[in-house]
Amino acid sequence: MATTQVSTLTPARADLLRIAAILDALLLLAAAGLAVFYAPVDSVQGLVQKIFYLHVPSAIAAYAAFAVVLVGGLVFLWNESPAADRLARVAAEVGLLFTTVMLVTGSLWARPIWGTYWVWWDPRLVSTLVLWLIYAGYLLVRRIASPGRQAGRFAAVVGIVGFIDVPIVHFSVAWWRTIHPPIETAAPEALPPEMLLTFAVSMVAILLLAAVLLGYRYRVEVLRDRFQAALDR
Amino acid sequence: MSFLRVAAAVARKDLRTELRSRETLPALGQFVVLALLVAFFGFDVETGGLKIAPGVLWLTVTFAGLVAFGRTFASERDQNSLEPLLLTPASRSAIFAGKALAAALILVAVEVVLVPAMGLFFNTPVFSLELAAALVLATIGMAGLGCLFAALAAQTRARDLLLPVLALPLWIPFIVVGGRAVQVALGGGGSLNGALALLLDFDILFVVVASLAAKFVLDD
Amino acid sequence: MKAIEAVGLRQRFGTRTVLGPLDLSLVSGDSLAVLGENGSGKTTLLRLLATASRPAGGELRLFGLDATRERTELRRRIGYLGDVAGHYPALTALENLEFFCDLHGVERARAPRLLEQVGLAAVGRRRAGQLSRGMAQRLGLARALLNAPELLVLDEPDAGLDEEGRGLLSRLVEGRTLVLATHDRELAAQLCRHTLDLSRRALEAYR
Repeated sequence: MATTQVSTLTPARADLLRIAAILDALLLLAAAGLAVFYAPVDSVQGLVQKIFYLHVPSAIAAYAAFAVVLVGGLVFLWNESPAADRLARVAAEVGLLFTTVMLVTGSLWARPIWGTYWVWWDPRLVSTLVLWLIYAGYLLVRRIASPGRQAGRFAAVVGIVGFIDVPIVHFSVAWWRTIHPPIETAAPEALPPEMLLTFAVSMVAILLLAAVLLGYRYRVEVLRDRFQAALDR
Repeated sequence: MSFLRVAAAVARKDLRTELRSRETLPALGQFVVLALLVAFFGFDVETGGLKIAPGVLWLTVTFAGLVAFGRTFASERDQNSLEPLLLTPASRSAIFAGKALAAALILVAVEVVLVPAMGLFFNTPVFSLELAAALVLATIGMAGLGCLFAALAAQTRARDLLLPVLALPLWIPFIVVGGRAVQVALGGGGSLNGALALLLDFDILFVVVASLAAKFVLDD
Repeated sequence: MKAIEAVGLRQRFGTRTVLGPLDLSLVSGDSLAVLGENGSGKTTLLRLLATASRPAGGELRLFGLDATRERTELRRRIGYLGDVAGHYPALTALENLEFFCDLHGVERARAPRLLEQVGLAAVGRRRAGQLSRGMAQRLGLARALLNAPELLVLDEPDAGLDEEGRGLLSRLVEGRTLVLATHDRELAAQLCRHTLDLSRRALEAYR
């Protein structure tokens, strides 16, 4: 019996994805190596500061993913494009993954500096938690609503309203903090060139990771949608 | 203008129904008393005193809000009246605005019971115009967001799960700023105007956003 | 003008096709009775025609407008009585109708007029939750007529109606563009010029 190759991307794009994945694996190794061996240890915060090379790029990847969720949702509400909905769906998962990394690394970073793993008065920690909860809610809505149009619309609304609310959450916690005596945090100094290089490599590696994950997940979703359409017919 | 007519009609209908059937208010009133009871045994009131009041207040308001906003759309669903309502040409945003307004008023009615009850509880009068302003302003914004997600959740099969999961994180700005406002109103030092102005800004933002989004949630 | 024009109309619940593909057309002023046993898709079809649900496939035009895109405009012109009336039990019959007058943007004076037309003038002040089945049905009929619809879609309007009620029904639908679902073949013949029997089609779909 002949087996059929099911294709979801054009051959050129599939190759591009594969190359990107391999390149990214190398970059991640490089970034890890640089972070551990090459980058200098911070004088004020010590060894734990190196978590910065994972934390900040993850944050940027998470926010980028959620921007994709926002745009995908808006486009879907506008013209019901299944591709937009699919992209939003996938980006939310990737975003949630990086938000988890952000939360964990942020918490670990906080411990040596503030003495505890969690504080409620730090706007970044709280807004990250809220971000996590909103997008977990987004995925929950997708699962619970009627699949297809209803799930797409409801999720889009959650994604859009959530995206608007997160900066507001950040702002309100920061506002609250100005009322109460501020806790001393290390003032950011200019980064020495070694740190900058490590940061740059980590940034590219992590963002590329996000894109690669997005690409592979998207392919799976295309297959799933096709399967669903075939069932419906 | 037909938007106002529809919104007013919907709000009037909801309030009239509540006044006659008396389903939500007594249940919420009971909830409030129970919440205070739990707070009394859970917190050390003598030592904590008025310092724990904002927390108790917002905890109670938040959970009462979940119930009140949830019922707004759940009851329509249960009575099978949501569909005839949506099959009219009336604007979804207007319908939503009417429902959110009615739900907000119901929650404010609960707060009218809650505040004096807290006065009894803490043995000092807590009511002040500032407190009322903070509560009302926060309630409006919370109603906008809460009713939006209630409308969403009511149309799915797990509405009791979805509403708190979606609403609570998004209510944090109101709880943080409102909590601060209540603290000041109860005698903690500081200026109230900043907090009230912020709450008003939040209200405007979220009521507009929610009304726009309602179009997509209330249209099958 | 064609009030209804459907080509290849289909409806699905999950993976099961429950209606169609169906071709249908109805001219303004004409009347159609939809017959069929339980489960043959009568309610499904009527809900599609009333814009209460979206078709899974095919094309549906009402008054020349796309039924999925122009829903707000169409809802101004369609009156629908579904299988479940959904009145507000705590509101009086009159208040229920006045509420819908507000929603449709028509003058409230229509409410008492319509109550009279359906023979409910005496119970206008009774709460809808306390109305009998037949009365609730009549109230639903009144609500469907509130916006002076150009197309009337009625799902088993005769259910629960007594002799007098049926007489009222005949009078009220006379001359209107009408789609009506019923089990009662006599009533169908009396009220409508055409019939569509869905049973055989349902059997075909299952084979």
